Amino acid sequence: MSNETLRHPWQLVAQREISTKIRDKTFIGSTAFMLLVVLAAVIIPALVAGNSGPDKIAVLDDSGAKVVAVADGIKGGDSYEATRTADVAAAEQLVKDGEVEAALLPGKNGFEVLGKQRVDSGLQDSLREAAANLGMEQNAARAGLTPEQLRAGSQLQERLLDPGPLPEIVANFVNIGLALAFYMTALGFGMMIAQSVVQEKESRVVEILAAAVPIRALLWGKVIGNTVLALTQIVVIAAASLLGLLATGQADILEVIAPVAGWFVVFFVLGFVALAGLWAVAGSLATRQEDLGSTTLPGQMVLMIPFFFSVFAGAEAKSVASFIPIASSMAMPGRMLTEHVPLWQPLLAIVFLLVATVLIVRLGARLYERTLLRTGRRLGYREAISIKAS
Amino acid sequence: MLSVAGLTRRFGEHLALDDVSFDVRPGRMTGFVGANGAGKTTTMRIILGVLAANGGAVTWQGEPLSNEVRRDFGYMPEERGLYPKMKIHEQLVFFGRLHGLDSLRAAERTDKILGRLGLAERAGDTLETLSLGNQQRVQIAAALVHEPIALVLDEPFSGLDPLAVDAMVDLLREEVTPEVPVLFSSHQLELVERLCDDLVVLSRGKVVAAGPVAELAAGPAATYRLVVDGDAGWLRDVPGIKVRDVAGATALFDVVTDPDGGLVQQVLQQAMSRGRVLEFGPERVALSDVFREATR
Repeated sequence: MSNETLRHPWQLVAQREISTKIRDKTFIGSTAFMLLVVLAAVIIPALVAGNSGPDKIAVLDDSGAKVVAVADGIKGGDSYEATRTADVAAAEQLVKDGEVEAALLPGKNGFEVLGKQRVDSGLQDSLREAAANLGMEQNAARAGLTPEQLRAGSQLQERLLDPGPLPEIVANFVNIGLALAFYMTALGFGMMIAQSVVQEKESRVVEILAAAVPIRALLWGKVIGNTVLALTQIVVIAAASLLGLLATGQADILEVIAPVAGWFVVFFVLGFVALAGLWAVAGSLATRQEDLGSTTLPGQMVLMIPFFFSVFAGAEAKSVASFIPIASSMAMPGRMLTEHVPLWQPLLAIVFLLVATVLIVRLGARLYERTLLRTGRRLGYREAISIKAS
Repeated sequence: MLSVAGLTRRFGEHLALDDVSFDVRPGRMTGFVGANGAGKTTTMRIILGVLAANGGAVTWQGEPLSNEVRRDFGYMPEERGLYPKMKIHEQLVFFGRLHGLDSLRAAERTDKILGRLGLAERAGDTLETLSLGNQQRVQIAAALVHEPIALVLDEPFSGLDPLAVDAMVDLLREEVTPEVPVLFSSHQLELVERLCDDLVVLSRGKVVAAGPVAELAAGPAATYRLVVDGDAGWLRDVPGIKVRDVAGATALFDVVTDPDGGLVQQVLQQAMSRGRVLEFGPERVALSDVFREATR
């Protein structure tokens, strides 16, 4: 603690907000829980993937082994491995025991793939393609063609005008993850802000606070204190998952995420501050903890609707959402990670968000000032807006 | 000096304060009395800037009261409240700093006040673990921690037993420097009479009496009380006075006409010439009578 007289009382309010919360058992517990979940999400898949190695495929002879080798090549290597067996019965036994993933047996007019309950479709496709290639090459050789002549004019190549940096499944996952991070943090801290406001009303300490410092300083102290806490929580969790990624050798994901991290922080802070103003008002409209259920409803809606929209809507709707304030905090960082977004788009979204944040915070400050000292009964938003300055 | 001038406040149709003006002079305890709903709390909240007035002004040393100056005031609201789950030492330091002390000074002051209140060993306990009486002490400590330049206390003694009241009064006397104006409201008139130098009586939003307690208690008419060692019946024949009541040696009379201002002394001399005078002086009116009279 510095020994200077505070020039800005909001600093003291923010300080108290932070020091109270970091000693609060519920807060410590929920942070630890989130940390665990994130670490589990980072580390467990790596451990599972690391254990498996190439899938074993039982084969009877060279031709089968060759098909498996080609299929492995199609998959990019290190995917399938041939295991030789003496006869069909031995292969069936291996499949039955789960020793091998599947068995590739000679079949009618080619091969037969044998599985226990089902055969993985990726494996089936690779084997089918490999078998077809090999078979046609052999047929071609008999007809006097080289493999090159056989394949002439039959190649299909992919050319993307606007290639995305991530495969689609990963992109969806990252989109939801980023939106979820904002949603969870904004909701969790929002409820904490509303609770801390209503606690001050309930314990009547607010009257002393309001007599000592301007009410706006109280609001700013709360908003800034909680924003700092929320960002710190995110950074701690991000650092932990970073360590997890490094420890499990998945550091290559960082190259994709790093350029967007700064943007995420900007969208996060602006969106969070705008909402924090609303949550503080939700607290000041209430007179008891029980009132929070109804007074925080608009805040929850403002978060939930854009969340589901930015997660489940189609690409075009998502692009629109990434410009709408609050929704943009959840949609834009994800879009930037998974698509090529021209620079003007996030900048424009930030301008929109900034304007909205200023407007929301100003409205919030007005409502907060007018309702904070009304301890008689719960107020509604419409009522609060119509109250004249008292 | 802290003054309010022409304060008016409306709550919807209800006129809660109607042109309320009075001074709280430095170094004097000003008692603020009135029936429930007379407007005491409303006035105090306006002084502290927690509520806005519809008209009128609060001034400090003749200037409109600014937020910076107000920050140095001490306030104990009617509805008590501090942070229940915050440790009391930490809490008082917080309030000291909120009122502009630096952290060292705030800690010093907190130690001193907690020591004086006998709460030094509870410094690390949360407020909610304290008895109600001790919570009340911490509440007053929160109003005093920053060495306020003026004090506004709304019913500071309500709910306290006489011993606790005495302890609180001692604390106020020790902690409040002579130049600090103190305004406190109370229902306990005998307490106000004992503690206050000045009095403001509020009734239905209007100031109905204000001034030094001694003057107000002297009553509007000049009534005197005479106790002699014999019969006081002769008073009935003295011109210029009206005897209210004579019961043997004790008489109560009003001065009605006194053109040269020496009548009271003449009566005393006459009484002394007739025998021993056991008691002579202006009749004091109990504050509760003043209050009843003023708020009728």
